[in-house]
Order: sequence, then C-alpha cells, then structure tokens
Amino acid sequence: MLNVKLKLALGASLVTVFAFGAISHRWVVASTESSRWVEHSHKVIESINELVFTMERIESSSRGFVLTGNAGYLQSYNALTSTIKQDQAAIRLLTMDNAEQQRRLPALESLSGEQIRRAEAAIDLRRTQGLSAAATFISEGPGEHVSDQFLALTGQLQNEEKRLLALRNAEAARRWSQSWPILFSEAILGLLIAGAAGLLALRETGARALAERSLRGSDDKYRMLLDGIQDYAIFMLDPQGKVVSWGAGAQRINGYTPEQIIGQSFSCFFPPDDVKGGRPNDVLRMAAASGRYAESAIRVRRDGREFLADVIVTALRDSAGRLMGFSEISRDLSESRKSEAKYRGLLEAAPDAMIVVNQHGEIALLNLQAETQFGYSRDELVGQKVETIVPEGFAERLIADALRSPEDALAQQIGTGIELVGRRKDGSAFPIEIMLSPLESTDGTLVTAAIRNITMRKQAEAHLLEKVEELNRSNEELAQFANLASHDLQEPLRMVASYTQLLSKRYKEKLDSDADEFIAFAVDGANRMQRLIQGLLAYSRVGTKGKNLLLVSSEAAFQQAFLNLGGAIGESGALVTHDPLPAVMADETQLIQLFQNLVSNAIKYQPAGVPMVHIGAVRSDKQRWAFSVQDNGLGIESQYFEKIFGMFQRLHGRGEFAGTGIGLAICKKIVERHGGTLSVESQIGKGSTFRFALTGSESI
Amino acid sequence: MPVEILMVEDNPGDVRLIREFFRDSLIEVRLHEAVDGVEAMRFLRGDGGYAEAPRPDLILLDLNLPRMDGREVLAQIKQDDRLKAIPTIILTSSDAQADIVRSYQLQANCYVCKPIELDAFESLMRSISDFWLTKVQFPSRGDVGEKQFG
Repeated sequence: MLNVKLKLALGASLVTVFAFGAISHRWVVASTESSRWVEHSHKVIESINELVFTMERIESSSRGFVLTGNAGYLQSYNALTSTIKQDQAAIRLLTMDNAEQQRRLPALESLSGEQIRRAEAAIDLRRTQGLSAAATFISEGPGEHVSDQFLALTGQLQNEEKRLLALRNAEAARRWSQSWPILFSEAILGLLIAGAAGLLALRETGARALAERSLRGSDDKYRMLLDGIQDYAIFMLDPQGKVVSWGAGAQRINGYTPEQIIGQSFSCFFPPDDVKGGRPNDVLRMAAASGRYAESAIRVRRDGREFLADVIVTALRDSAGRLMGFSEISRDLSESRKSEAKYRGLLEAAPDAMIVVNQHGEIALLNLQAETQFGYSRDELVGQKVETIVPEGFAERLIADALRSPEDALAQQIGTGIELVGRRKDGSAFPIEIMLSPLESTDGTLVTAAIRNITMRKQAEAHLLEKVEELNRSNEELAQFANLASHDLQEPLRMVASYTQLLSKRYKEKLDSDADEFIAFAVDGANRMQRLIQGLLAYSRVGTKGKNLLLVSSEAAFQQAFLNLGGAIGESGALVTHDPLPAVMADETQLIQLFQNLVSNAIKYQPAGVPMVHIGAVRSDKQRWAFSVQDNGLGIESQYFEKIFGMFQRLHGRGEFAGTGIGLAICKKIVERHGGTLSVESQIGKGSTFRFALTGSESI
Repeated sequence: MPVEILMVEDNPGDVRLIREFFRDSLIEVRLHEAVDGVEAMRFLRGDGGYAEAPRPDLILLDLNLPRMDGREVLAQIKQDDRLKAIPTIILTSSDAQADIVRSYQLQANCYVCKPIELDAFESLMRSISDFWLTKVQFPSRGDVGEKQFG
C-alpha cells in the first residue's frame, strides 16, 4: 500500500521535474556565475581554517617534544612546517582577486614565522639545556601575545571573506528573485506534490523520512563534502535544535546513523545533567544572540560514553536576518589525542602505568600498563573521572596545581612521588606512587601521571619495620634478661662466696696445705664471678637505667669520681690534674662512672713509678667539647685498640692486673648513649689517651 | 639476760651466717627464726604454737618472703600498738629505690642491703649490734604495750 502511494507520488514528481527542467535551465545558467563566487568564499574560509589548525598542531608537537623529549614529535613538527607553507600559498592564491585580503598576508606570514621561530627555539633549548629551561622559555616571553595576534589576523581575514560571502549570497538571491515568476509555478506544483507525498509519509513513516528525503534531494553535493570529513562532526540543526543533516564524520564521532538522529533534538549529545539544566537550549540561545558560540565541553556518544569535544555552533540567518537554524562543528578532543600515534607510542614504551588527565579530572589517554594495572580496558576509562581509579588525592592535586603557575608546578612535581591508593576494576586497592607533570597543550593544561604499583616496596618497608620492632623488642628483652639474671644470680653466689670466705677464715691453717689452696681457688672464683655479674649488671643498666641528658657540670662529676677513687689514688700516689671542665649534656651518674672507670684504668695499668693522669677538655666546635683522659702508663699496642672496648676483653693476665674486662665496654656504651664515640691513642711505654666528645654549653 | 632477736628470712644460709656472727660476738643473743611472714606474725602475736615465744628486742626482716612478704609484715607490726615499738630492721638483697622508700613510709627503723663480701657483711652486723643492741635505749620490758592495754 505504502509502496504504491509512494511510487505514484514519485512518478508525479518526476513528470513535473522533467516538464519544468527546460524552463529551469535558463535560471540555472544565470545563477551559476553568482554561486561560483559563493563557493569561492567558502574555499577561502576553509583555507584559513586549515592554516589555523596547522599552526595549532605545530605548537602542540613542539611542546610535546619539549615535555617528553620524544623524537617522534619532531618528525610531525618538521612535516607540519612544510604544510604551513602550502597553507599560506593556498590562501595567497585564493585571495588573488581581493587586494584588501592580499595586504593582510605579509603580516600573517610574519606572525606565523614568529610562532615557528619560538617553537624552534623551545625545541633547541630542550635539546641543549633540558626541560626546565625550555618550559621557562615557553611560559615566559611574548608567545601568547604573538599567538593572539595571529588568531586576530586570521579572524580579520575570515570576517572579510564572510562579508563577501554575504554580498555574494545576496547577489545569488537577487538572481533568484529575477527568475522567480518562471520558477513560481514549478515551486507551487512541486510543493503540492511534495505536500501530498509528505502527508502520505507523515501518516505512514513520520517526519524523519521526509526530512531525510528532502535533504537527499536538495543537498547531495554538500552531503558528499560533509561525508568526506572524518575528523569533525558537522551537522545542521533547525531553529528548535532538531538535527536536519548528518555527515559521516558526525556518525563516526557521535555514533548515530542519519536514520537514527535526523529529526531528533541535539540535546541527546549532552550529558543528562546538562540536559536537566537546560544547557542545550542555552547553547542555541547564545549562538543565536551572538552569531557564534564555542565551547570545550563534555558530549555523549550514542552508547553513553562521554568525551571532551570542541564545539562551535553558528547561527544561520537568511538575508533578512531570520533565524534559519544552526550549524554545529565539533571535534572529539580525546579522539584527536588518541590519533597522536607518536605520543601514544611514548606512553606505551613507559615502564609505568601512564594516564593523561585533563583539567576536569577526566582521563584522556592511558597506556597498556595502566589498563593492566587497574584491570580496565581503555574504552572503559577514557573520559571517566580519575577518581574511578585513584579515589583520593589525585583530583585534589589537580585543583591545587591549577592554582599554581606552571613553573611552580613543574618545579615541585617532577621527581616527587605522591603516595596514594589505586583502585582496580574489581574494587581491590593497592598502594601507588604517582609522579605528575603538567603538559601544556592546545586543549589547555593536561597532566601526565606516571603511576607505579608500590605494593612490593610497601611490603618490604612493612617487613623492615616489623624486623626493626622485633629487634627492639628482643634487645629490650635481652637487657631485661641480663638485668634479672645478674640480679638473681647474685643471691646464690653471695652464699657461695660468703661460705667459702667463712670456711677460709675459720679453717685456714687448721687443715692441710692442699685444703687451703682449694679454698683459696674457690674464694677467688666466687669473687671474680661476683665482679663479673656486677659488671654485667652495670653494663645493662647503662641502657635500661639511663636517665635523661641534662646540662650538668662535668667538673662536679669528675670531682665525685675522684672522691670515689680516693683509696686507689691514695695507694698509688697518683698525680691527677685537669683542665677547667665545661657543663655538658649528660646523665650525671653515668658521667661519674665514665670518669671513674677511665681514671681508675689510668692508675691501674702502670709500671712502677708515679702515675700521672690529666683530664683535658677543648672545644671542638660551637657546642662540642673534646675530652681526653691521658696517662703515662703502660700503653696499648695499636692492634688492640678495637679489642679493649669489647665485653670481657682483657690484655693482661689475672696475675698482673685484676679486672673483669667490662670497664671500657661500659665506658663505650655510656659515651655512645651520649651521642659520641670513645677512641684511644697509645704508645707502648709512653701512655694512653682516651678521647670522647660531649655536647655542652658554649663556655665553661 | 640474753637479747631476743627475731629473724624473718627464708634463706637458711643467711640465718646461719647471722647465727655464726653472733656465736663469735660478746653479746648473748637468742636468735629466733621465721621462714615467712605468716610464721613471723604468729611468733609475734603468740599464736599457733608460739604461746611461749618471747617478745623480741629486735626484728631483722627480709622483704621477699613466701606467703606473706616483708612489706606486709612491716605494715602489720607498725599498725599493732603492742608491736610497733620493736625496732624493725629491713635486711634484704634489694637495692631498689621503690623498696627503700616504701619501707621507710611503713616506718621501718632502718634499711640495709645484704653486702656481698663476707667481711662487709660481718662489719654491717657489727654496726647493727653495736648500735641497736648496746647503744640504743629502749623502754624496759613489760613497759611496752601492757601498760596501754592494762
């Protein structure tokens, strides 16, 4: 039924068209001349657009090289510098007819030359002086100014051409009005037939089919032109925002076939929230008010995926100024970046997961490592908020960076890792380190983030921490053990010692000489063991019973040690002298013990003669004091300099000098607890000097 | 009349050392021993088989004892009006400040550490007996406690 009616309608149309073809021919010839000029103006406008676009790409490829150092950018840069010459030649050729436009060309060429020179200089700087010098160069100087002038000039060229276009359109309209009586009847008939067909179609298939058919009938040439453009979505809207034409580029970018979209409101390209907020109407209103409205904003594909688009909506008005509809040209920015194969290659070659994020916090680009790391496929992430994979910290960082100048951001970010938490598609979290670097591009500031999975490192750190804690705990336990053991050992030992001593006292010379000797060995053994245990206890107490370091007089501490050693000093007839001694940060009890042990050693290890001991203190720097305890004793062979500070280490037989071998170990531990080191210098037969440093007051 | 001394000490070695010391001493001493705090309190209060026990002139008290420790014994002695006048000397191997402070707070008459060397031990015991058993004046026996309780 439908087919029969449509065929009838089509047949009628054909008859009419044939009948009036001959009549129309006259008008067609007459109007060819004016429409050729209209077409010429379109070409000029297009060639200027070409030039602007090439310049943008030159800038972004040079910045790409500056940022990454990847030679791939240079190849495209070099190719583009010859493209721009062709663009300029095309404009020059196309504007031969227009002296006014020709006058603007030298300035245009000089401005584009200047921009290329700046790009060239940035590349050289990157090569010779590195990233930060080049970045400084880009962000400073007249770059923006030159670029603004360039855009202003190309704007003037286009405006001039648009003015001509309007004149030429008017001329075409005039021709049209001259021919109208001839065409009037054709139009009436055509309208009648179209109306009949339209009624049919409306009843049977709806308005969409009509719009499509009339578009096909009238505009094949433009449709072919539009379909040839793949990188831009170009389509027309009626005054209410319904789509009336649809090209292949639009289909590729937005995902709708003409059948699906023609007749539908263009609001389906907006995110649902924008639609709710009345954004689509606002866009049309602004375009209608100022003639042209441009924005970079989020658009939605047919499958619901969002993408960032550069959109220009232009109001179309007839010669009387009536709004006929709108044209929309949009470019998929994430798409355009995706097509930068060189940059992509660089990302893919990186060992870390890399993502590129725009200022809205949306992921614009990512590499395979990022897909693997986070468990998403590329398409699932592009256009998504970065919070999807880094829930906290990243987006905040972007906001903070947006408030900083690019130099500051560069200075602070390169090489500084931020530790955050990443989230995989399956919801599992893992520790990551993120290194950010800003990337100035024609689409605004982007941020490149290298993301490293630091699970292993974190585990190693945690393991290390655990080991340190374990070690501390075991050290503490050991100290406690030493303290307890030596304390509890004392009790039974006191019994052994007391009773062997009692035995020796009561029965000496009452038993035979063997018994006396045995008793003597037992007494000596018990005594030595007591001293060892006391030494151990003293040693362990340096760590466990140590008090806070306070400013104390080392002079007073020395005097106390001197008093404590009264007996030994008196017996040996030693001469003990000292420098004025400063106030130092110390645990006084331990400082006394330190002096006491060192002076006692100095007196003990002596040949026959008068022991001479001198305690010195010299300021080594502002707050450090170098102490020395010098004697004229036996001296120590240099091979034993280390050994003498060890636990239970002795250089002399028990017969020569009594001792447990703990005294210097305690001294070493005390000095170390006070943040210093104990060292010795010595010459056999001349004496020894023990040295240590303490922190103290600036004067004595 | 011999001096009555109660020694509260769980180490028989220490008891014997003291006994040996007094054997050589000029002062006539009767040394009684209690091996823990419970037994010491029974002795002092004349309970459980100690009805005939004399009231000691001096108590030598160790701190670390089985059942009831020396701190508890000291507290009970010093809270008991009939006992608190008996000089009580803490004789222990602990040199911990906490023990020393606590003992004086509980009104110990003095606190001494058991010396490790035999000579030092004997010298300490000589000092104790010289001071507490010969120089110090005490209320005469029978004047303590009974007067207040009639």
